Amino acid sequence: MVASVVFLKIGEFARRPASEQARLRAQLEAVIAVTAAELPPAGRVVLEASDGAAVVVFRDPIGALRLAERALTAGAAGLPLCAGLNHGALQLTGNKGAEAMTGDGIAVAASVAEFAGSSRLLASRAFREALADAAPGREASLARAGTFTDAGLRTHELFAPDGRALRRRQMRYSLAGIVLVAAFIGAGIGWRALDGERKPFGSAMIAKYPEVPAYLRELVQRVSY
Amino acid sequence: MAKKAAKIGRYKILGELGRGAMGIVYKASDPNLDRVVALKTILLEPDAEGRDEYHKRFILEAKAAGKLNHPNIVTTFDCGDHDGVAYLAMELVEGTDLRTRITSEGATALEAVEIARQVAEGLAYAHDRGIVHRDIKPANIMLTGQGQAKIMDFGLARVRMADHKTSTGMVLGTPRYMSPEQISGQPVDARSDIFSLGIVLYEMLTGTRLFSGEDIHQVTHSITQVEHVPPTRTVPGLPAMLDFVVARALKKEPAVRYQTAHELAADLSTCLAELRSREHASEASADASKTVKLDALAKAPEAPLARAIAVDTRLPLARFLDSSAALKSIRAASRAELARAPRPVGWLRRISSDAAPRQLFLLALFAGIASAFVVLA
Repeated sequence: MVASVVFLKIGEFARRPASEQARLRAQLEAVIAVTAAELPPAGRVVLEASDGAAVVVFRDPIGALRLAERALTAGAAGLPLCAGLNHGALQLTGNKGAEAMTGDGIAVAASVAEFAGSSRLLASRAFREALADAAPGREASLARAGTFTDAGLRTHELFAPDGRALRRRQMRYSLAGIVLVAAFIGAGIGWRALDGERKPFGSAMIAKYPEVPAYLRELVQRVSY
Repeated sequence: MAKKAAKIGRYKILGELGRGAMGIVYKASDPNLDRVVALKTILLEPDAEGRDEYHKRFILEAKAAGKLNHPNIVTTFDCGDHDGVAYLAMELVEGTDLRTRITSEGATALEAVEIARQVAEGLAYAHDRGIVHRDIKPANIMLTGQGQAKIMDFGLARVRMADHKTSTGMVLGTPRYMSPEQISGQPVDARSDIFSLGIVLYEMLTGTRLFSGEDIHQVTHSITQVEHVPPTRTVPGLPAMLDFVVARALKKEPAVRYQTAHELAADLSTCLAELRSREHASEASADASKTVKLDALAKAPEAPLARAIAVDTRLPLARFLDSSAALKSIRAASRAELARAPRPVGWLRRISSDAAPRQLFLLALFAGIASAFVVLA
């Protein structure tokens, strides 16, 4: 199966005293219980990792991103989390009652989380593409953050959330629209000007619509080529 | 030979306490101080050159061990050689060794953690003085009648191993309790003893052998590659924190293991406090006795596999959040539905679903119509 994986990793977990490890894990479980409540129970599986947890989210990359973002805010409450997001292949293994999940989807999410560092969220390109598929345009909220090579010597292109990226994109498209409109209309006027046999557009319009107000007629005559 | 002599050095043999690969351990009396000691004899190499080398090493290690004076370490009083036999006079501990204890009656969780904590304290003391045991195993831990644990044979493993390596190029000792770096023949430090103590703790808690195999290759593979099942999975009533303690002590990579035995002892003290508070709570609830019916079908929640860490990506389902609804939906869903990979977003879909490109498209459309009007009007 293919699903989104949110890997939440507690920073420097292995180096902490066991009492602190137990406390941080309990804190993480509380955070996941709250954040995963937003997802339908049939749409998510929570897995335990030694230094954190992974939440597998089916058919809802937007929900996965939201969960990761909300979980990271727990960092402010003293839980040093980092998150890795990936969308990839998974497999359900184990007998009934002792199920587990394995697969590249988890491996890449874990590598990305490892690379993310404290209180940071990073997503793989596969996750960005899944996000684009689920909600075209939403992927723009993940801006390119560089590449890294994992222990298996695989290179991953990484993306990080950028709060202003969507606004910037909107502005870029608006500017492109204005330029496009100006270019098209300018090209039309230019085309007509090059055709010597035809009247200028303004004059032709005034001739066609004689009821045009006088001040407008005067204006057209002034700017007419 | 020794028995016939009835005396080794100045020590008068009173009886035999045990036999090992290196030699015999006697109960002996020291006439100078009028005290009873344990006399450990070690057979020296038959050839003169080997014997000198062995003897030097033995004296060196015995001297180092003799400097250790700690309640959790068997004190070494004296060393010497007599008729081709090197000997070590040590404190005589009245009690049993941990191996006998585990195999005969086992140990409760509280006892196991307490013993491991005491051994960790003893190791920390020795490590602080630059001495690594190298052969921590149940047979080298003595338990007194008062519940005190004492580590035996400090430094002897080094004598034995160095000797064996020079002659055959192989590692001798007790492979089942060796750390990955030790069994691979790499240099070892204090963290190797911590790994060995982790194995001992695991065996005390679960009553099962951790790394086993029919030959040295299988044992080596187990120690270097196989991850343990957390103790709470085997014994569900144990505090979850013990999983973390054991997992950290048994990390294959020394850098992420406990770095000092002090750290391990501190964590074990915390576990001990939890176990004691549980014991008190259960005693208190026993006082206010009430009958509860146990659900025979109820299964204890399973702990995550320690192998789910680092290299392996097989992660068990979390116990704190029920995922049965999702599993049901996975089983019910079709293969094609589950395997659906993200599709690239084409222009048509982009225009219909994405606001910004749609706006651009509409503007371009308007501009095109306007331009056509300008040209044709």
